[in-house]
Amino acid sequence: MTVSPFRSLMAVALVALSAGAAAAQDWPTGPVRVVVGFPAGSSPDTLARLITQPLTQRLGQPVIVDNKPGAGGAIGVQQMLVAGNDHTFGVTINGPLTTSQRMVDDLGYDTATDIAPVALIATSPLVLGVGAGMEVDDLAGFVELAKSRPGDLTYGSVGQGSGAHLTAELFSGATGIEMLHIPFTSYAEVTTSILGGEIDAGFMAHSAALPHVEAGTMKVLGITSAEPSALAPDLPVMAGQAGLPADFRAELWNAFIAPAGTDPAIIERLNTEINAILADPAVTAQLLAMGWQAQPGTPAELADRIAADTELWGAVIDRIEAQE
Amino acid sequence: MSAAEGLIFGLGVALQPTIMLYCLIGVVLGTLIGVLPGIGAMAAISLLLPITYYIPPEAALVMLAGVYYGSQYGGAVASILLRLPGTPQSVVTALDGYPMTQQGRAGVALFASMVSSFAGSILGIVVLVLLASWLSAVATSFGAADYAAMMVLGLVAASTIGAAAPAKALAMVVLGLILGCVGTDVNSGVQRLNFGSTQLMDGINLVALAMGLFGVAEVIGGIRGAERHGVPERVSFAQMMPGRDDARRMVGPTLRGTGVGSFFGALPGTGSTISSFLSYALERRIARRPERFGKGAIEGVAGPEAANNAAAITAFVPTLTLGIPGDPIMALMLGALVIHGVQPGPMMIEARPEMFWGLVVSFGIGNLLLLILNLPLIGIWVSILRIPFRWLYPAIIVFVCLGVYSVRGSTFDILAVAVIGAAGYALILASFSPALLLLGFVLGPLIETNLRRALLISRGDPMVFLERPIAAFFVCASVALLLLSAAQSFRRRGRRAA
Repeated sequence: MTVSPFRSLMAVALVALSAGAAAAQDWPTGPVRVVVGFPAGSSPDTLARLITQPLTQRLGQPVIVDNKPGAGGAIGVQQMLVAGNDHTFGVTINGPLTTSQRMVDDLGYDTATDIAPVALIATSPLVLGVGAGMEVDDLAGFVELAKSRPGDLTYGSVGQGSGAHLTAELFSGATGIEMLHIPFTSYAEVTTSILGGEIDAGFMAHSAALPHVEAGTMKVLGITSAEPSALAPDLPVMAGQAGLPADFRAELWNAFIAPAGTDPAIIERLNTEINAILADPAVTAQLLAMGWQAQPGTPAELADRIAADTELWGAVIDRIEAQE
Repeated sequence: MSAAEGLIFGLGVALQPTIMLYCLIGVVLGTLIGVLPGIGAMAAISLLLPITYYIPPEAALVMLAGVYYGSQYGGAVASILLRLPGTPQSVVTALDGYPMTQQGRAGVALFASMVSSFAGSILGIVVLVLLASWLSAVATSFGAADYAAMMVLGLVAASTIGAAAPAKALAMVVLGLILGCVGTDVNSGVQRLNFGSTQLMDGINLVALAMGLFGVAEVIGGIRGAERHGVPERVSFAQMMPGRDDARRMVGPTLRGTGVGSFFGALPGTGSTISSFLSYALERRIARRPERFGKGAIEGVAGPEAANNAAAITAFVPTLTLGIPGDPIMALMLGALVIHGVQPGPMMIEARPEMFWGLVVSFGIGNLLLLILNLPLIGIWVSILRIPFRWLYPAIIVFVCLGVYSVRGSTFDILAVAVIGAAGYALILASFSPALLLLGFVLGPLIETNLRRALLISRGDPMVFLERPIAAFFVCASVALLLLSAAQSFRRRGRRAA
């Protein structure tokens, strides 16, 4: 990625401007840009807009979503870093902060040194969905079936290294089963393939699976969050079942981030405003309808989450690479 | 609810003044963005999405759907007049539509495209109403092996599109297949041919490729002093009415195009681009004098236009009956519903009949509006040809840049369109057919991922392509078609020798 001399000059000038203590109090002095690494209308984009709309009122300056999709969200983070000037931020899913380092050559950034966490926005658990024809009723039955036919069951994901893929590998490793991975490009394809009986199972967003459960064409065997979801309170959590450890948890999440070097006072201000927005019941209800659970918290908590997930998924990727 | 009851119920929904108004807004916007090169329904719908939060969900869906199928009408306009497809779906329309313009028959070509678009849509609606549940069952029973075999048939059938020398045609298809490989390999996650660039990780942008090969290349050709043929000063209504001969030639292609489009539209992930290519290939195959194609055959306009419009209607089958979006635009529309608290899924038709039947009836109303709107516009569209090059071409370049940028906000894609445009001009000079390149680019990745997925699921057993009845049918049809072509060319050579 090349940065034009003019842009770097601008960036230096803006950093110099924002260095003074007075700057943080006056902030924001202009429109705030939020780069989203996914196309308009996608789930991370809709979630970002749910936050940026009230943020516009709270900050008194327009907060504009700028979609820079590509490379699983990594391009959005790259573009945020190019601009970095106390008025450009990002909303991203977990991948670009935790696993992209392992998946993308020449990523161009290092989460640990280039990113300043601002706030976790929401988390989304996954559910294990199987075709209605499979003769199992719970997770223990599924694991038993998989053990009786090692390597025979197939599962779909939305691509190598996707959340659905890594979650399934984490699950297989923890229960000691062996399944064959079939990569697809979208959840729509994975769902169609399960409904048609071509593949056996797949981890997917619970909001996407539940309508098919209701129609009797799919079964869900468990959810990957620590607590049951408000959308499906009857669906059992996987942790502690069928040989899984009690702390088993695999969630996708969305977070608000800033370039490293952003004034800490600005990060604090943004964190406060975002947590206030997440306290609004109308916002949490809309998030829930999309399958997202609001998760207010501090920048430090987000940093911990990034570190923990980088380690968790890094170990899973190590295991996958060792198998190949 | 039976189909008849449903339609009456739907009329009650769709005829509400507010819904009609949003339908009109949708189809007008759809026509406009379809005419503008590169700016597709995707960009327009994502821009409209935030507005839909403030209107009722039925109205939102009707409007967004109107943009979607309306853009199919508009897409043909620039294709026919300037050889500049407004949307990737209308690339094939340029193959015979533009020669018609050069022969001074732009009005007839536009009229043919509008009428066959309308007929394709209306018949597509009939298919949607009568066969929705059957089509959705077919869609879920299609496995990876079936898709792979079907796409191979498509590639074999369509590989004669360009009318060029067979070796040149083959070269273009292969180049398209190679370009289609760029990006992350779905099966292994390996990045191929991206030269270490994250910008190319998701592959080459289809819109950039289509706009570069057709739009920019055409503009470069224009600068070199391509003369304009037979532009009429003013087109009267009588001049754009197809003659009896033209009308007779349109009927068959329109009906067959509708059939092809209805089927492929309903399969998730295949869509209207492929159906327009296949309809063109079909017409050329069964034509008594295939050499007329590429030189202004009206069948080559009517068939693909009917196909892509029918496909735009039946694309709603998996979306509405299963809640599974067939393409990214459908996913956007479902996203709009979720915001309104409507959960798309297999139960939606029963739970929210006003959504399904209201939308279906609005398709009919919207297409009628499109026909009424577009026929009088033909005269205005044709007058675009009277704009001097020095105004028209810079404007086209600006719109192409806007359109390509609108896809994913990437300046890299604008550079890509410039490079592709230059290459496309070189291809035109050497009389290669860029349409075949595009076909290879669209079909190649679909064939590859589905072939490898089928073999992965069957644990490497190639018999899967003969054991599954659907796949076996397509494999046999492909082989038969190849043998038929070989036999034809032998016979021709024999005749020439004698």
